[in-house]
Order: sequence, then structure tokens, then C-alpha cells
Amino acid sequence: MDSNINKVLLLGSGPTQLGIENELDASAFEKLMALKKMGIKVIFINDNPFSVVSEEIQPANVYYQEINFENVKRLIEKEKPNAILPTVSGLNGLQVTWQLIDSGVLERNHVQILGISKDNIAKIINDNNLNDLLSEINEPIISSKIVNDYEEAFDFVRGIGFPVIVKPISPNRDTSRKLCSNGEELQAALEYSFSRTYVNQCLIEQSIVGLKEIEMVGVRDVVGNKILVSGLEDMDPIGIHSADSIIFAPTQTLVSQEYQRLRSATFKIMDALNLNGTCHVQFAQSRTDDKYYVTKVSPFFTRNTMLASKATGYPISYISGFLELGILLTEIKLPERFGNSLAIMEPTLDHTVVKIPLWPFEDVPDADRHLNTTIKSVGSVIGIGRSVEEAIIKAMHSSQYSPRDILPTAQKMDEDSLIRQLIHPLENRMLILIEALRRGFSIDELSELTKIDQFYFYKINQLLKIQEYVKNHPLCSEAVKIGHKYGFGDGMLAELWNTDIMSIRKINQDNGFRVTYKEVEPSAGEFIEKTNIFYSSYELENESSPFNSKSALVIGRGGNQLGPNTASDYYTTQVLIELHKLGFKTIIMNTNPNAVSLVPHLSNKQYIEPIQLGNILNIVEIEKPEYVFLPGNRHYLTKQLRKFKNLKVIILPPDQEKTSFNKNKANTAVDLFIDGNNILPITTTTLDTANNKNSLKYITNYYQPMKQHTKYGNYLIDKSISMLKNSDYQGLIQVLFDYDSLTDQFEFIGFRPIRITETAFLSKITGVNWVRVLVKKNVGNVDFNRLEKMVKPDHYLRVANMISQFPFNQLRANQHAGSTQQEVGARLEFKNIN
Amino acid sequence: MTTTRYLILEDGTSYEGKAFGSLATTSGEIVVNSTMNGYQEIITNQVYHNQIIVFTQSSIGNTGLDQNSYESVQPTAKGVVVREYENLATDHFKRISLDKYLKQHNIPGIYDIDTRQLRHHLQKVGNMKASIVDVDDEHAFDQLTATVLTNQQVAQVSTPKPYANPNDGDNVVVIDFGLKFGVLRELSKRKCNVTVVPYDTSSERILDLDPDGIVLSTGPGNPNDIKPGVLEMIRNVQSEVPLIAFGLGHELFAIANGAKLNPLFIEHHGSNHPIREIITNELLFADQEQGYQIDFKSVDHSKLFITYLDLINGSIQGLRHRDYPAVSFQFSPDGSPGPKDRDDIFDDFIETMATRRRQAYGF
Amino acid sequence: MDKTILDQMAMQRALTRITYEIVEKNKGVDNLVLVGIKTRGVFLAKRIANRLKQLENIDIPVGELDVTNYRDDISHEGSNRDKFNNDISFSIEGKRVILVDDVLYTGRTVRSALSALMEIQRPKSINLAVLIDRGNRELPIRADFVGKNIPTSKHERIKVSVSEIDNKDTVELIK
Repeated sequence: MDSNINKVLLLGSGPTQLGIENELDASAFEKLMALKKMGIKVIFINDNPFSVVSEEIQPANVYYQEINFENVKRLIEKEKPNAILPTVSGLNGLQVTWQLIDSGVLERNHVQILGISKDNIAKIINDNNLNDLLSEINEPIISSKIVNDYEEAFDFVRGIGFPVIVKPISPNRDTSRKLCSNGEELQAALEYSFSRTYVNQCLIEQSIVGLKEIEMVGVRDVVGNKILVSGLEDMDPIGIHSADSIIFAPTQTLVSQEYQRLRSATFKIMDALNLNGTCHVQFAQSRTDDKYYVTKVSPFFTRNTMLASKATGYPISYISGFLELGILLTEIKLPERFGNSLAIMEPTLDHTVVKIPLWPFEDVPDADRHLNTTIKSVGSVIGIGRSVEEAIIKAMHSSQYSPRDILPTAQKMDEDSLIRQLIHPLENRMLILIEALRRGFSIDELSELTKIDQFYFYKINQLLKIQEYVKNHPLCSEAVKIGHKYGFGDGMLAELWNTDIMSIRKINQDNGFRVTYKEVEPSAGEFIEKTNIFYSSYELENESSPFNSKSALVIGRGGNQLGPNTASDYYTTQVLIELHKLGFKTIIMNTNPNAVSLVPHLSNKQYIEPIQLGNILNIVEIEKPEYVFLPGNRHYLTKQLRKFKNLKVIILPPDQEKTSFNKNKANTAVDLFIDGNNILPITTTTLDTANNKNSLKYITNYYQPMKQHTKYGNYLIDKSISMLKNSDYQGLIQVLFDYDSLTDQFEFIGFRPIRITETAFLSKITGVNWVRVLVKKNVGNVDFNRLEKMVKPDHYLRVANMISQFPFNQLRANQHAGSTQQEVGARLEFKNIN
Repeated sequence: MTTTRYLILEDGTSYEGKAFGSLATTSGEIVVNSTMNGYQEIITNQVYHNQIIVFTQSSIGNTGLDQNSYESVQPTAKGVVVREYENLATDHFKRISLDKYLKQHNIPGIYDIDTRQLRHHLQKVGNMKASIVDVDDEHAFDQLTATVLTNQQVAQVSTPKPYANPNDGDNVVVIDFGLKFGVLRELSKRKCNVTVVPYDTSSERILDLDPDGIVLSTGPGNPNDIKPGVLEMIRNVQSEVPLIAFGLGHELFAIANGAKLNPLFIEHHGSNHPIREIITNELLFADQEQGYQIDFKSVDHSKLFITYLDLINGSIQGLRHRDYPAVSFQFSPDGSPGPKDRDDIFDDFIETMATRRRQAYGF
Repeated sequence: MDKTILDQMAMQRALTRITYEIVEKNKGVDNLVLVGIKTRGVFLAKRIANRLKQLENIDIPVGELDVTNYRDDISHEGSNRDKFNNDISFSIEGKRVILVDDVLYTGRTVRSALSALMEIQRPKSINLAVLIDRGNRELPIRADFVGKNIPTSKHERIKVSVSEIDNKDTVELIK
């Protein structure tokens, strides 16, 4: 390790958006753990108010600013870090770093770049440079050529073969790209394109649409030792964005030679980039021969890097934190509980992981639902099983397909639409595939239409058969057994048979059907790795045993969706951290691969299981937790869990059912914390809407303190306190007012528990972590006096502003102002009061 | 309709599962393989002669078997144990399905086994015999206990007669102890003119073929059971021509040069262990099929270099003779299956042959 | 057109093989010293020394020899041999010297190196190790250890890059 490095500038993720969820914050968290272990001081920049990392760093070292050239430059000049770490900041982080290199800022301030060299950043952010590099090391890329005439065009296509895409250069009117599969089509496309170009040139590009998409994630150290952490196989072909694809780990339909070729290519690319850290490479693999093409190289942390990490239990970001500092793979010491050779063993799996994306189309109805090369998903869930079917069922059940049906259908669809959707898939493609199989389409035909490997149709078909069998044998123990084996949980069986879950649990008890938990670990059972990550199966050996001391189960929020989105997961992590502080062994249950709450350091045990009643009860039975925490508003689950009187279920924040309003319009709020008879005012805020609708659900812009604070702050606070005295509200409560500027009057509107996103906002701006306060209040004691000293809502030097972000542009939806249910993320900024 | 069958172990454990492949009753040593891709290469590798293979990969057979991935013509494994198997032969290559292949070759398979538990169990109890049977009664266990596994594995799988794989490059003689085709493919790729000879061919006959280089192949069984003549042959040829050895060939090379070999408590089959090349400190991964390890203390350092080590179990993974261009590898760098991190070992072999020829003949 | 003949891996392998062959031929490493011909030969010699250290845990001294002024085909004015930029801080008297260079071509560089060495002291033996032998010899000189033989024409050029000064390890054929 370079001993000169003692202060590192870590670039954060920026606001959540489509394509950037909380995986970057999760990996930054792991990285932070690694840097702390090395005794390095970290400066962090991130304007995402839901970042967990920014609360793990001393407030003085956290900058809530947009990650752009100017801001980072200023920060470097002020803080004088020795090094910058841009690998958990997405492509934006690399772009900014490149600007810093190009303008000489890094050199002038003697700042090193960790993980990747200056020259190679230029190669990554510029496609041409990257293609040159790949050509230099003989890695195949998609061929393209600008041609001047027919002869040149045909010569080129004879060389690369069909299919190709033709488009005019500098078109003189609206044109489209033409896909050609034979000579006649090429002739026609050239005639079309040559008649529409100003410069009499066309671009011909090899088409790889329909090929298999395979992804590889590896790590490399400074002397060139490499490990392939995981291969991932997209069920959906090239042409559908990988974030919108259903993905399997490990790869399912590659033979050894194919797999090894891509593994070797990944290593070659990592060597050529001379990087230390992690790299994610995407390939298009031919289905008919052994050809492949490199389609994307990401030498930084991506969503699928996280997926590879979750699939294997190999803590990629933590380990690459050390690698980026120049420590060798063989020198890395993992936390004690892990097997001592985990970092240097190439992961090998004995389970299957399936990732299914979640799309925001219910919340943004006018977006185009077609899956193509632009990203549309907002989140994803994973299912893990010992069989492929089991993993598929679990992931499907955790995704947004109707929770009541096991294998949902699209029975009403006419045949033409069905075929059209097979060829041009929408987000509900899984339903369409299932329906097509139900209607007896042959697997050959389906594979031809969809370019999805036949293997997956066999698997779905198998699930249909199992479901049919189970359905026809209600409450029969053999059907329960078979159902279990293929991933049908007790809750699903109950729904299939239209009974309640207790009757299924009785069958389990009578027949000795016991759920077994298997560890997600990278040695396939060769060593005891103690990753403490588990998933269920119904087999012989259960590997999860309860803790000796008091424990608490925290139920994660599942896949990211519009609305509170990643703020819910932020909330969950704070619950975990506080419970740990209070002496609980913490157990998290979640299905969101990108969740910070699944970072290994944040809990004592993790269950990757569908967040369904049956699965929760199974875990409770084994763990016997003292408390079950349910962060986020989940009425259905809350209702179900409340039926079990012996469970101490704690809902945070309290149900919005407790809300009471005079009218649905407000622009000012007072936030307070109530503990017993003590009432502590926290702050005032101005609530703003983008479209002047003023309706509560359109409030997406928050200022603290409220704009009229100097004049009316104390007045409103006193008023709120007096109204809340003798009420039965407890915890974090918001009192809403509507200010009329004409009359200069505040009208009282109502009370509500403080929402998740605003709780995060409050924590960031007051320096008190209110989620943790709430946890303390529920399971222990709050030191009210101390809290009172920390919170002083009377004197402000700066205005904090949280602005919600929406995915309308990314989805090309014709909408501008969004509601709280359509939020994808938020930005946080501070302005000094002059 | 699926048939219920049992996998029984010498220590009295029984696993209920379901049958696929052949319905034969077989016995063999039970070993675990943790490679994720390449079930075809594994099943057809002769190193598994008389062994029952447990796959940790939860589902195998997702792709059918293809013509380019066989490691032998006649597989001699005794059984396949897996959590799930697929019976697909579906893609454009029109491959043969796993079930059909196992039936053709009379190899029984058993699935729906908690292979993760089985592996944990075997890690504790070590190598042992096992059977795949119809009924797991006392009789079956008695039979299993009474079964004496042959120690003539090499004699059973080695080619009875020499055969050639002509090409126009270096003249290479491959000694067949249970050869896997991956090595032949690598030699073919480098245009070697290959003659494969039976394992007990004498050094005179081998040298009469005027080889530029000699390969000692992988193979099954206990290296200590090999006929002494083989060791003598190795000693005689290593001083004459460049020699390269893999797997069992490596173990025999070690014994021929004075080292001792001990059985591992549990055989290691997989490609997840980092192997360190001592001279450069580099890590690499490769398929390992290892049942025996060289006793460190028995290595005569005045004769042999230790060139590679397994960083997980510390076992010796490579040797080189100090006086002759003779190298040996415990692992299989040919990548069938497994990583090809070090397939340039074959390039080195070619280069070495060229160098020796130049030195001998001046061209 | 540049063509890569050896990539990083292949270059590493070649040096590894040469190292083993040196030990094999010298029946060990007793009395062994390495002398690299500047510039790239020095780095290659150091790498061989590193390998010997890994292998035998012994430090083999590495000397540096600058032969630009020794070349009989390069004219130099007022030849003053004291100016030679050699750095051999150990005695080579009675040693087995391994002379290391990147490319063996006409043989003239090696000839000069031999003269220079002999002028310093009397080694017991001198062997020659080269990464690339490209043929076209003009003198009766041959390498004892060769990484790779590349037959070339006189119109082609061989470019050896070493990561120590060129940021990459490659051997390229330039036409």
C-alpha cells in the first residue's frame, strides 16, 4: 500500500434515478469500512439525502453538494486529499474525474486516482478510445464502417456477415435505422439511406440484436492477480437493456468453453486497463457458434457488480476497497467470522439466483412500456433457490406481479397481441411467456420469436406443471412437499387452495416438513465461510441457528419502487444500526440486491427471502426474535402480522392511518418529537409544490427553516406544542399549516406522523438521527434532556433544501410535476443565510 | 414416472433420491466436484474411473452434450449425484441430452439429493465408498462394505495399443494413464504430431519414436499402485527429451524422482483454489482433480524445484527437474473444463522442444 | 503495421523459462552473476534475478553494461573508455556471467559486451540470454538462452517494451 495516502476523497452516487439505485451507496459503505480499517480519513461528497454513508462519516467531512467538476475542484483545493476514489460514483464520477485530470486540477493538487489510471479513464469514457484498446488486445467488438457506395457496402458486409444495420450519415430528413438480413434488404436499405444523406455516406454496423447477453464481474490487484467473481446470464437477449432483463447467476446455458473464453477475455481487458479493483464486462454471445463481442466495459461499481456480490457472498466492494489502495488479494484480511481464504478463492455456487426488475409504469402510466435499449426499471428483486424453479418462483413472488396469483396470466389477450408482445416485449413479458406456454405454443417457436434460450421455457413449463399438480391436490401433503421443493411458499400454497396459512403450517407440522436455510457462500460447502447470508430450501440440513442472546428481526422494504424508494432502505439501515447499538443481534430480511440494509457489516444475519407472511413466520420460528420491526408503510403485511399476538411487531413510522387533516392542502409544517409527556420541537419547514397544486401529495420541495421562520417560527412552534399537549400522538409528528401570504395568516391543517423521506431530511439537517431516536423510544429509553440540548430550532445560519427528483425525462413521459408517489430520489443542498 | 433410488455411503448414511440415466446398481469411491461449468468434461474424464461424482453445482444438464467437449470416448465414472438435472438437448447444436448419454454408457444418476449437506458430511468423514442402489437395506450396505475397488485403474483405462494423431509439428509421445482429450486438443492446436502409447510402454520403445517431447497424461487411481517399470521409464526419458506431466503423470514424475505421495483426507475436484506460481508470485486458477499430495519433506531439493503451490491446502501443484527440461503439474491447464489461466504452459513446452532441437542440431 | 509477438504474459513466461534453463545449465546458482546490456537488458536481468530470489532465495548480483561506445560499427570520436557508463559493483573474476539483452540481431552488441567484460576481469564463463533472437547474424555468436526465436527480414524492426520504462510489456514487430 502507498503509505502516503491518508486522506481520500470519496465521490458518492448523487440522487437516485433510473439506473442508479442505492447499490452505489451500499458499495460506498463497504468501501468506507475498508478505508477506515486502513486508518484513512474520508471526505465524502454526495447530495443524496438518503445516503447511509454520509451518516457514517464525521459531519465536518461530508459535503452535500452536487458531484460536478466545479464542486469537486473546490473541495480538492480546500481539503487537499491525497487521493480521489471515483469507482462508486457511476459513470458520472469517472466523467468528473476525467475533467479534473484534463484541467490539471489533480496534478496541481497532487491527488492520486485510486483504482484506475488517468490514461485509462479516458479510454472508458470515450467509446472510440475503448474500441481502439479492445482491438489492440484482439477482443472482438461490433464492426462498423462508413461507406461511400454500394460496392464498398457489400464488400464490408461480405466480410462481417448479416444481419447489419444501415443508416445515413448526416440525414437530410427523418430517417430510421434499417435492419438487413440478406442482400435484397441491404440493397433496399442502401437505396433508402443514400437518398437521405447530405454527404452521400452511410454507416453500416453489425447487428447483434438477439444474441445472448452475458456479464462477467471480476476483481484484480495491482500486480495482476485476478478472480472472476461471477458470471451472469441475461434471460433476455441483446436489445433489451440489462437493467430490464431477468438475470440468472451463475450462467445457465453456457458450456465450459464458452464460459472460459469470456472469463479469459474479462481478465485480458482488466489487464489492458491495468486496473486494481473491480470490473464489470458485458458480452454478446452468439447462439450458433463460438463468436462473442465485448459490448460494454465498466471498471467501476455497477448494479450487476452488486448482483454478483449478492449471488456469491463475495464482498466485492469491501475487497476492492483494499485492492484500490494497492493491497494484494493475498494480503487482505477479512473480518474474523469469514473463512480465512475467502478473498482469494474463486467463487463457486451451489444455488441459483434470479433477478427480476421492477418497473414504474403503474406510477407513470403514460411512459412507453416497451423494453429496449433504454433503461426503464426502477428497482429489482432477487430470489435464491437450490433449483432454478425455486429461484424463479421466489423472485417472481417478490416482484410486482399480482401477489395473489402464483403464476399470473394474461388470459384475456388475443392471439395477435400475444404474438406482437412476444416479439416486442413489454415489462410484463414473463406473463406473456407463461400465457404463450399455456396456450400450447411450442418451445422452439417461442425461442425463435423471443430469442430467449429454450432452457428458460422448459423451466417455466415445469413450474406450470407443478402449479397444476399442486392446485389439483388441495391440502394434500405430497402436493405441499412438491410445492416446497419448487419454491412455493406456505403463503402461496394457502392462496392457491384458498385457505389460510395456518392450515398449511399444520400439514408441515404433521408431516415433519421443515424449512432448511442454506448459506450463500462462495465455496459451495467446501469451507465454513460464515457469511451469515441465508435462503430457504426444503432439504436435509439447516445451517442457520438462533443467536444465544436477544435478537430483533427487521423486515426490509424489498425492491426499489417510486415513492419513498431508497429512503425506505435508508430508514431500515438506521433501525438496524440502532438495534445493534442497543445490544440486539440484528436479522434483516430483504430481497433487494441493491439495498444498503443488506451490506454485511450492518446486520448479524441476512435472509434473502420473499417478504411474505409464510417466510416471515418461518424465520421467526427459527430465530425467535424479541421484536419484529417493519419499517415503511405496508398495510397488508402489518395487518397480517398483527394477527400473531405473540409477535412484538413495531411499525415505523407509525401508520399514516393516524393522519388527520382538515383539508388536503398545506405549505408549512412544524416537526416535533413526542416522548410520553415531553414534546420537543425540532424545526419548521416550508413545503412547496412544483405545479402550485398545493395538494399534499404534490409536495416535493422542502425548505428548512420555513421561509417566515424569523417572524413566525416560535409562534407556530408554540401553537403546535399546545395543540399536541394531551393528544395521544407519540414519536415524530408533523403539524401542518397553510400560510396565506395575502392575509399573512397560518391556517391549521392537521397532524401526521413524519414521513420516511422527511425523516431522512430531518436527520441530515439537525445532526440528530431521528430514526434511531424512534427505535430507542420503542425498545428502550430516550434521553430527552440530552436530545433537547442537541436540537435548537431557533437560530439558523443556513437554509436546507430537499428537492424531489422524478423519472419522467428518462421514461420520456409527458409529465413534469410529480407526486410523492412518483419520486425516484431527491437532492439536498444548503444555502447560507446572508 | 420417476424411480426412487438411494445413494448409500460406507459409513452407513443413506440418501433418498430419484433416478436418472442408467438404472444400474454401481459402487465406487464418492468424490465431490465444485466446478460450475463443464459437467460433460467432468463426467467423461477418465480420472473419475470407478468414482461416483457429486456435483455441487445445483443444476446440471442445462445444455446437452456437444461433440467438442468429450474428454474420452468411453466414460468410466460410476455415477452422478446432483440436486437437479435437466434433460435438455435443445439448442442449435442439436446436442445429446445428459439422461440419454448416461443411459447409453450405463452410468446411473441420482438427483434430488441435498448435495450441500452431502458435501458438508464428506468434508467431515473423508473419502469413502458409496453405491447407488434400489433399496438401502442391510444387504446393500453389506455389499458395499464387501466391495473391493480395483487398484488397476490405469491398466483399465489406458489405451491397449499405440495410435497416432498426425500433424506436421513437433513429434510428441503421450503416455496414456487415462488421458483426457483436453491435452490432445492443446497439442493439436500447436500442430504437434502426436503418438499416444500405453502406460507401460518401455523407455526404449518411446525413445525409438524419436520424440521431441514426452507427455505424461492425467489418470485415475493411486499413484503408489503403479508398476515400478513405469517409474523407471520416466527416469530414463526425462534426461533425454523435454517432458511435461499432468495430474497422475505429475504424481508419478514425483515418485520417480524420489518423492512420497499421501492420500488427501478428502479428494479435491474443482477450480476454485488459487494456485501460486512461486517464481513470479502470480495467482492462477485451473481445474484440479487431486486425490493425493506430495509429502513436502520427501522432495529432494537437489533434484526438484517446487514450482507451484495450492494456497488453500498448501499442496504442491508443480515440480521441475533441476537438471532436465522436465516439468509437472498437479492441475490441468487445458481448460476442459476450468479456467485457461495457464494454457501457455503448452506454448512453453513447444518453445522448450524447439530450443532443445536447436541445441542438439543447431537449427 | 505493428504486430505483437509477445504480450505481457508471454514475456513473463519467456523470462521464467530462461531462469529455469540458467539454473539447469549451470547446475545451480553458485558463482552466478547477471549483467544486463543497457537499457532494456538491465531490466530483464533484474527480473531474472527476482525470479532466482523467489526460487532459490538467493540474491544474484546484477550489473549494468553500456556498450554503445564499444560498437565497432558505430564510429566515435576520441574514444575514452573511462566514460563508459557501466555499473558493475562486484567482482566478476572467476564468476559465471550471464549476459542479458533484449534482442539478438547481428551479434555486434554482444561482441562489444564480451570485449567490455573481458576488459574488466576474467570471468569463468559467459553465457548469453536474450528475450528475442531475430536471426541475421553477422558474427559467429549464438545465445545460450532464448525467450523466442523470431525470423525477421532486415527491413523489419523489433521493438521491446518493458513496463519499467515503457509502461507496458510487449515485443512488437514493426514493418
